[in-house]
Amino acid sequence: MIQSLANWILSFDILAGMGNPVAWGLSLFVVSALIFVFVALNAIVLVYIERKVSAFMQVRLGPMRVGKFGSLQTVADALKLLQKEDIIPQMADKILFVIGPWVILVASVVTFAAIPFSDTLLAANMNIGLFYVVSISSIVVLGIVMAGWASNNKWSLYGAMRSAAQIISYEIPVGITLIAVVAVVGSLNLQTIVIAQGGTGNLFHWIPIPLPNWFVFHDPFLFLAAFIYLTGATAEINRTPFDIPESESELVAGFMTEFSGLRWALFFLSEYANATLVAFLVSIIFLGGWQSPFSTYGGAQVGFSILTLLAIMWTVFVKIKAKRLSIFPVGLSLVITLCAWLFPGFALWLASPGLFWMLLKVASIIFLLMWFRWTFPRLRVDQLMYVSWKVILPISLINLMGVAVWMWLTGEIQF
Amino acid sequence: MGRLHAEEMVLNMGPQHPSTHGVLRLKLRTDGEIVSHIEPVIGYLHRSFEKHAENLEYQMVTPFTGRCDYLGAMGSEHGYAMAVEKMMGIELPERVEYLRVIFAELQRIASHLVALGTFGLDVGAITPFIYCFRERELILDLFEMASGARLLYNYIWIGGLAHDIPPGFVEKTYEFLDAFDKHVAEYNQILTGNKIFIERAADIGVMTPEIAINYGVTGPSLRASGVNIDIRRTQPYSIYDRFDFDVPLGEGIHGTVGDSWDRYYVRVLEMKESAKIVRQALDQLPVEGDVKSAIPRRIRPPKGEIYFRSENPRGELGYYIVSDGKNVPLRLKMRSPAFSNLSVINEIGQGFMISDVIAILGSLDIVLGEIDR
Repeated sequence: MIQSLANWILSFDILAGMGNPVAWGLSLFVVSALIFVFVALNAIVLVYIERKVSAFMQVRLGPMRVGKFGSLQTVADALKLLQKEDIIPQMADKILFVIGPWVILVASVVTFAAIPFSDTLLAANMNIGLFYVVSISSIVVLGIVMAGWASNNKWSLYGAMRSAAQIISYEIPVGITLIAVVAVVGSLNLQTIVIAQGGTGNLFHWIPIPLPNWFVFHDPFLFLAAFIYLTGATAEINRTPFDIPESESELVAGFMTEFSGLRWALFFLSEYANATLVAFLVSIIFLGGWQSPFSTYGGAQVGFSILTLLAIMWTVFVKIKAKRLSIFPVGLSLVITLCAWLFPGFALWLASPGLFWMLLKVASIIFLLMWFRWTFPRLRVDQLMYVSWKVILPISLINLMGVAVWMWLTGEIQF
Repeated sequence: MGRLHAEEMVLNMGPQHPSTHGVLRLKLRTDGEIVSHIEPVIGYLHRSFEKHAENLEYQMVTPFTGRCDYLGAMGSEHGYAMAVEKMMGIELPERVEYLRVIFAELQRIASHLVALGTFGLDVGAITPFIYCFRERELILDLFEMASGARLLYNYIWIGGLAHDIPPGFVEKTYEFLDAFDKHVAEYNQILTGNKIFIERAADIGVMTPEIAINYGVTGPSLRASGVNIDIRRTQPYSIYDRFDFDVPLGEGIHGTVGDSWDRYYVRVLEMKESAKIVRQALDQLPVEGDVKSAIPRRIRPPKGEIYFRSENPRGELGYYIVSDGKNVPLRLKMRSPAFSNLSVINEIGQGFMISDVIAILGSLDIVLGEIDR
């Protein structure tokens, strides 16, 4: 994307004089800024959504005052955090205390460089994209340990140590699960992985249920792998039920205890960036990335029909629950579906934008993570380690072997 | 290289800590995550209740009792009123007795709801806490209807009640009770049967009957160890002998008898029993009767002393009152259940992890206002 942006800049007559290196550097800057803006805005939106989701799960309303339906609440909170006094404890290791949060933030933002948002929207098309994402995102643990150690607080230290143990433990099963996918595709390039999931096929190769060619439906082993990966990744990003490093009721706030203001906001930012990253990886690796589930003519029409059905169900639900008739979603989806059946080309056009499907999948996964967080209790440290080393790791090893055997049985690879 | 020098770390938990249920301080000696010794340090909420009582007339002490156990204020007031009434030999109208039982049992439900919710919080489940508070609000609404207050009521007076219940109270209480069973099923769904919750609570902090009795543990925590002692049943006071209710005991469904899960579950069951008692009391509630008719003009208990105990949400609440015939008690001692219940934590919490200590503390359901008095 950087080179194409540079080429685009150079295509203007006035700008052509700057030469390729300058244009390239400018594009690099623009793309990096775009990624950072995406991460920051994403965090602001996600915090708002998380508060709303948790509120609806807890029979509350959530933020309602700032902006329409409280939509500007997180903006207000962010501004408040920026204004707060920057406190560095007297006995803290000042250098580590200052750079710790930045290490975490940089590690979690930089990973987005390799994420394909759609077929063209991709900052760096690396041939080792998956490896890059996994390895860079594990630098986060370094920042956490820095922050926890530098705080000179026993709670922070506990949080940091727990975090280090947890992230390192879960990296192994997660990595092995990802290797299973790499074995199927034969490439570490994330874009290649997405492209390999295009089209429609049978469930588990033989069962005659037409489903998109996503890896989660590729074979039973990858189906299981998707869940293993989601579990392991939830643990890696320290979210409930694995939020042990910052477990509020035990360690006050874990490694974040001594941080305030902007530095604390950085932790928050990177936390949501990491959650988004995991959601992106799950969608890319198992759910077909930016591939539309309805990518053929018939599929698009079926898809819109399903949408209409859902809209009708929603209307009935609203009618029963809230005693009011909301005709708009049904009307809109009916019109779209009618158009889809009448003009198949239109349907395909409407159903194809990759960015939309990508973000929809990501949003679903993030909602799932939020759902976990607001319903589950927290595991204990030793239980967490038990799950990682004695349950998930053996399963993922067997899984890797199973995938290989499956590939051999279905003839996708020959020895 | 020589041996790596390692020593135990002293960790101060509290008095400012999210999970110490107030201003409790726990001095933990930890070896990594394992806790080898727990020393509760109390007194951060000491308000000299007993010394105050020596300078206040009997009727003036009532509001202070509620401030001790602020989650079970009705129970504390009830116990105190009964103690003084017994000294003075006051006969109460039937209606007062029934209303008192209704309020005490509603208070028990409200208190247990807080216990369940905060225990959930302690093990990391946030949503059940809000559900529990939703029902507690309904009970507080009922209390507000009757007494005008939502936390500290000063409603049960020596010899009667501050006011009679307002019209509509009985219907609203029935309404609450009808919906309550469904809500208990909700808690069971979201928390009680949750695999992670069971893993966190079962076999943690096992309190054998011997330990429980030796430390003077009472209330749901004692019954969770399988000891069938409920003062409402063993020494029925007020009119508890007229009601049909069970005393739930810990059965160790998911672990050992007397573990944290049992202590939690006994409270769930007790809420159901309390709801049963309230329903019976409402059914039998006499329509006639002046709630203030038995309130004495002058409260001067005869010379002597009394120890009166009642079953508070947290356990045996005892009042030891010495009277010299004046209108001010010569000495008033409160035997607070949470104090004894907390003292057991070193015995049952040793060798567990920091997270478990918090779970155990949550399952004991302490109220610091009552421990420090």
